[in-house]
Amino acid sequence: MRLLNLAAFCFAVASALLLYGLNYDTRRLEASVQAQERAADKARSDIAILKAERSHLSRPDRIDPLARNIGLLPPRPDQLATAAELSELALEQPIETQSGRGMSDGE
Amino acid sequence: MRSRADSLAITEPRLNPQPIDASMSQTRRRAPFVNATLLGGTFLAFASVAAQLLSLGLTRPAEITLAVAEPVATSFSRPDIIDRNGRLLATDVEAPSVFADPAIILDRDEVVEKLATVLPDLEADELRRVLSDKTRRFVWIRRGVSPSVAQRIHDLGLPGLSFRPELRRAYPVGALAGHVLGSVNVDNKGMSGIEKFIDENVGVDPVHSATLSNRAPVRLSLDLGVQHSLEDELDTAVRRYHTRGAAGLVLDIKTGEILASASLPRADPGRTQAGADPLVTDKVSAGTFELGSVFKTLTVAMALDEGLVTPNSVLDVREPLQAGRYTITDFHGTGRPLSVAEIFTHSSNVGAGMLALQAGPQRMKGFLDKLGLLQPMSTEAGMISVPQLPSRWDRTELITVSYGHGLAVAPLQFAAAAAALFNNGARMEPTYLKAQLGKQPAANKLVTPETSRQMARLFRLNVMDADGTGKRADVPGYRVGGKTGTADLASAGGYESKAVISSFLGAFPMDDPRYLTFVLLFEPKGTTETGGQRTASTNAAPVTGRLIARIAAQLGVEPLTVGATQ
Repeated sequence: MRLLNLAAFCFAVASALLLYGLNYDTRRLEASVQAQERAADKARSDIAILKAERSHLSRPDRIDPLARNIGLLPPRPDQLATAAELSELALEQPIETQSGRGMSDGE
Repeated sequence: MRSRADSLAITEPRLNPQPIDASMSQTRRRAPFVNATLLGGTFLAFASVAAQLLSLGLTRPAEITLAVAEPVATSFSRPDIIDRNGRLLATDVEAPSVFADPAIILDRDEVVEKLATVLPDLEADELRRVLSDKTRRFVWIRRGVSPSVAQRIHDLGLPGLSFRPELRRAYPVGALAGHVLGSVNVDNKGMSGIEKFIDENVGVDPVHSATLSNRAPVRLSLDLGVQHSLEDELDTAVRRYHTRGAAGLVLDIKTGEILASASLPRADPGRTQAGADPLVTDKVSAGTFELGSVFKTLTVAMALDEGLVTPNSVLDVREPLQAGRYTITDFHGTGRPLSVAEIFTHSSNVGAGMLALQAGPQRMKGFLDKLGLLQPMSTEAGMISVPQLPSRWDRTELITVSYGHGLAVAPLQFAAAAAALFNNGARMEPTYLKAQLGKQPAANKLVTPETSRQMARLFRLNVMDADGTGKRADVPGYRVGGKTGTADLASAGGYESKAVISSFLGAFPMDDPRYLTFVLLFEPKGTTETGGQRTASTNAAPVTGRLIARIAAQLGVEPLTVGATQ
């Protein structure tokens, strides 16, 4: 009888400790979920701002003068070629692959 | 003695048992009374606490509701707006809003003065008034400030000021396409343009804090590159020809998609009050104008489609036309009979009038109605200004309408009608949303494919021909066609003597018309470049040429070598 009582008492204490631990684990997990949700919200908000900034920086009325400044212009009709014309050109003279280098080195 | 004393001692207590008894019975009698009082008091105390709790639970004092409800004032999270290629036009960003709790503020004059150093446009008197009301717990100071301004306000160290993150609409491309996008109010609710359309048809979500929308972005038909090219060319035109304003649009003839739509001066969607200035209204859809000779496009198409004439039919246009008390003459008179094609390329008023008279009012009116020019019309960005029609359709009205006077329509409505002429007669409803493949509704054919081909040929001829009014719009390789229009500007009680609206309706490539452009310049002045002229052939036509040269490649139109374009 006494043994049974003792066992029940130990069981009660053990389960109390377990529940106590679980309770704290849950709270900790909840806190971490909240922290991650906050981080996700923050990231989402940052992404929205970065997207807006990228769009703002690449807006045409900013790029246009910058492009003209380095000597670029809208393409002229005679600068465009069809695929057929390109293959003809390729046969006549090999395209110089080095031509674009100078600028990227300079930047 | 002793026994007596003993007996006394014993009996003495008994000498007056009465008083003892009496006092005891008195105490016993008093005890229930005290107990009852104590019990009653305790009960009353608890009851009053309970009553207080009950009353607190049942009735909510007004001040508390106010303090809770005001910060929770809903704003809206909106989906992004992107152009047809996915480039961002409008988005929500988180921005701090500043509010005050008047109950905590210690020195309201100090608060107002210090705030004014950071927010110079603060209405100090109004703020002083609302801050003096100590019953309020919540007063907005400024909503949606930039993070740097918020930091500076925070650095002032004023008690009673706090921040709340809120959503604020941002337009990263500035005023580009501002008229189309519209605007939102301080609660992020759409007030005009596409923003209003989103509120009514796409959906926005009420939020209490800065929660971004999960909705898919709204994809417009606009092309950011084409839009910029259009606005840039119009800007140049405003400077070059000293105009009071300009407007233009680029329309996909096959789908009805509006690729670009601009009206100068611009409306900045970031500033909600921009619509107050009448000059800033969207001239493309919120204004009606007598468009002048571009209207001859419709008159000639009507005559061809009704089978009254062929492009080679010759009309004697030497005599001026009498219309009531007006005499209609030709601006570019040649002094010889003209074919219908020449009437178009020389922009003959007399010829157009004769064609309209030949058709009669019923057919002329019926044709314009069929093209949707006489009915009110709307797009996603809102109602288009209702056309202003002549009250009667007599001889005078018929003649004036034939060359674009006496009937005022919004440029977008006119462009949609003209586009149908080049789409084998199929009228596509103009739209600001990107069309979904395979979802095109079958449109009725309003003119025959033959008329459509003839009109395309006339348009091209008017630009190619050395005598054509549109020759300055040509761009080698892109097969441009078009029609000029120079209309006297209507004013109260008549027409302005020297003010015109010059316009150019263009289309390309004319071998299979795909894109339509419409450029309007308001009150251009003659310059040395135009030889002092104000007519569309000297200003609107070259603007269209420069525009098409820029946008054709963006739109993927293949240039043909110059020899093949003839």
